[in-house]
Amino acid sequence: MTSSPAVPIAGIVRQRRRTRRRQWQGVLYVAPAMALVTVFFVVPVLFTVWMSFHNWPLLGQPSWIGLGNYVRMASDSRFMSALSFTAYYTVVTTIAIFALAFPLALFVERQRRGVGAYRTIFFLPVVVGLATSSLLWVWLANVDSGLFSPILRMFGVTGRAANLLASFDSAFAVIIVMVVWKIVGFTMIILLTGLQSIPSDLTEAARIDGASRWQRFRFLTLPLMRRTLALALILSVTGSVLAFDQFYIMTSGGPQNRMISVVYYIFNQSFVSFQLGYGSALSIALLAILVALSVIQLRLLRVGDER
Amino acid sequence: MLKTLIGSVSLATILMVQGAAAQETINMWVRTGIGTAFTSLADAYNANHENQIQLTEVPFAELVQKYATAIAGGQAPDALSLDLIYTPSFAAAGQLEDLTDWAQGLPYYSALAPAHVTLGSYDGRNYGLPLLVETSVFAWNKGLYKQAGLDPEKAPESWDEIVANAEKIRALGGDNYGFYFSGGACGGCMIFTFAPTVWGSGADILSADGKTATLDTPQMRASVNYYRTMVEKDLVPASAETDNGVNFMSFTNGRIGQQSIGAFGMGSLVNDFPDVDFGVTLIPGSQGGVASFAGGDNIVVTKGTPRLDAVKEFIEYSYSPEGQKILAENGSLPTRLDIADQTLEGLDPRIQVAVDAISVAKTPYTLLFNDLINSANSPWAMFTNAAMFGDDVDAAFANAQAEMQSIIDNAP
Repeated sequence: MTSSPAVPIAGIVRQRRRTRRRQWQGVLYVAPAMALVTVFFVVPVLFTVWMSFHNWPLLGQPSWIGLGNYVRMASDSRFMSALSFTAYYTVVTTIAIFALAFPLALFVERQRRGVGAYRTIFFLPVVVGLATSSLLWVWLANVDSGLFSPILRMFGVTGRAANLLASFDSAFAVIIVMVVWKIVGFTMIILLTGLQSIPSDLTEAARIDGASRWQRFRFLTLPLMRRTLALALILSVTGSVLAFDQFYIMTSGGPQNRMISVVYYIFNQSFVSFQLGYGSALSIALLAILVALSVIQLRLLRVGDER
Repeated sequence: MLKTLIGSVSLATILMVQGAAAQETINMWVRTGIGTAFTSLADAYNANHENQIQLTEVPFAELVQKYATAIAGGQAPDALSLDLIYTPSFAAAGQLEDLTDWAQGLPYYSALAPAHVTLGSYDGRNYGLPLLVETSVFAWNKGLYKQAGLDPEKAPESWDEIVANAEKIRALGGDNYGFYFSGGACGGCMIFTFAPTVWGSGADILSADGKTATLDTPQMRASVNYYRTMVEKDLVPASAETDNGVNFMSFTNGRIGQQSIGAFGMGSLVNDFPDVDFGVTLIPGSQGGVASFAGGDNIVVTKGTPRLDAVKEFIEYSYSPEGQKILAENGSLPTRLDIADQTLEGLDPRIQVAVDAISVAKTPYTLLFNDLINSANSPWAMFTNAAMFGDDVDAAFANAQAEMQSIIDNAP
């Protein structure tokens, strides 16, 4: 009844101390990362929020206007068209990238002759900067000195020299092809790691059970790749929503301002019209949209359920 | 520790001050697309002065935002050649050095190009002084005129004539085209070369007080119609539709029959493309009259620069007879009117047409110039592309008119 509790208590205390010490160690280990995130993400975001409540010119004194910038945003038709263009671009480009990256990943997954060379070739454009590849493709699409236009003319597709960047549809197509060329290798590598993490005995078992190739893909590969897919999808969607370089460099937002993405619009408001406050408010709105999109994607792919 | 720090900082300061007395490097910016006038002047200055100018060329469409962000970030150059229409906005924001006392002490102050001085002033003080002056003119290629059976010495006087000539030149075939303009959303190019076709006939795109957009006028409709006709008849190279100003001087390739260009462009044609035999005249209005855009750059000094004296020395050099001559040889018209005759003496006679254009030239003045006209996504840039290449001219007018008005109304 009155067994002495001294020993277990001392043990617990010692153990607690050890845990606490280990916790402090843990904090110490993540401190550099925390510091980086704080300095380069949290503080700038908080400052952006602060700026968004001001009429904040690039030069001159800011003045407090409360929610004025957010009210203005609600009736800003140019912002709305930037949003809808960005949404359109995101949907098209994500579908295009996945439609090509998945077959490529399946192709380079199997050990075949020269698979290393294939992987390298598909991945090569990824290491080119986006601005650089945009410039390269502007030249390829140039009506006089480029590559596509003379070829189209040579094969009689177009009569006179066709200026591919002049109309929305052809310019948009050029940009999509460029982005897919540039990004698909990266998505391919992510999907490849997912494919390789599937244990081969599972596939074998399915094959023995008589599952067809499509059935194995649909009921085995896809479900087991959910996390990888979520990662690739979120990266792709985020990248597309934040697209800027290609429109700025390749078409200057044209033809007739129809390719102004949200980030492009934020840039224009902040650094062309010098309204940093409004630009900040738009950035915060974009951040909220991105967070919402990522949460929805994680939900849809039910990542975290298996825990 | 602190003492050492202070000591070394003050030592460094002393060294810097001493270095300053000996020789200084002035950091200066200039926009692209204005020819060689400023770069040649800087080269000549560097060759015979102890102080040196380090020139950075900034793409013309980005100069304003780059300068503003550089000021905000404390990285601004000592001085820059700033498109004169922007001087008031930067002066109003308190970012420019007040040059009044020194400038008004110059013996030739009253002879400096008056439009530049006016736009360089804010609240009665001088913040910018004339550096480069140019006007827009209409140029034609005499060689192509001759080939097409036209009189190479006869300047076209109306847009009907220009279109007819363009058709004859295009009929030569191949890569010969009748007309060129940078139509791919280059607001700056189009206000410089295309707006005069409206001004000449007595209309404008903004009301006199700058509060109302007045885009949709019979004159503008007529001007747009001429340009559209030439595009539809394939008299303009396909590349014009996406040229955002990079290829503004396409006329230099010798296969463009006619184009409105500027005096800076004339300078580079004369110096660098002697094979292109060209004539110049004033830009005809679409419904009669003639006009021109008087533009150019003021030199402005960033507030608080430690190299103010060196910059002043450079400005005085640019006003010396030698500096004026170098500028004029490169197509920049005289900024000092008292020695203008001396400056222009012996120069290519075609430069005189650009000088004469000053009397019919206009310089639009609005603090919203970048937003409305010059930036790549401005309503004016969008309008010129949509109206000349698009399917729906009426919509182009309506959209641009509405957007210009909304920018004016929403201005802080």
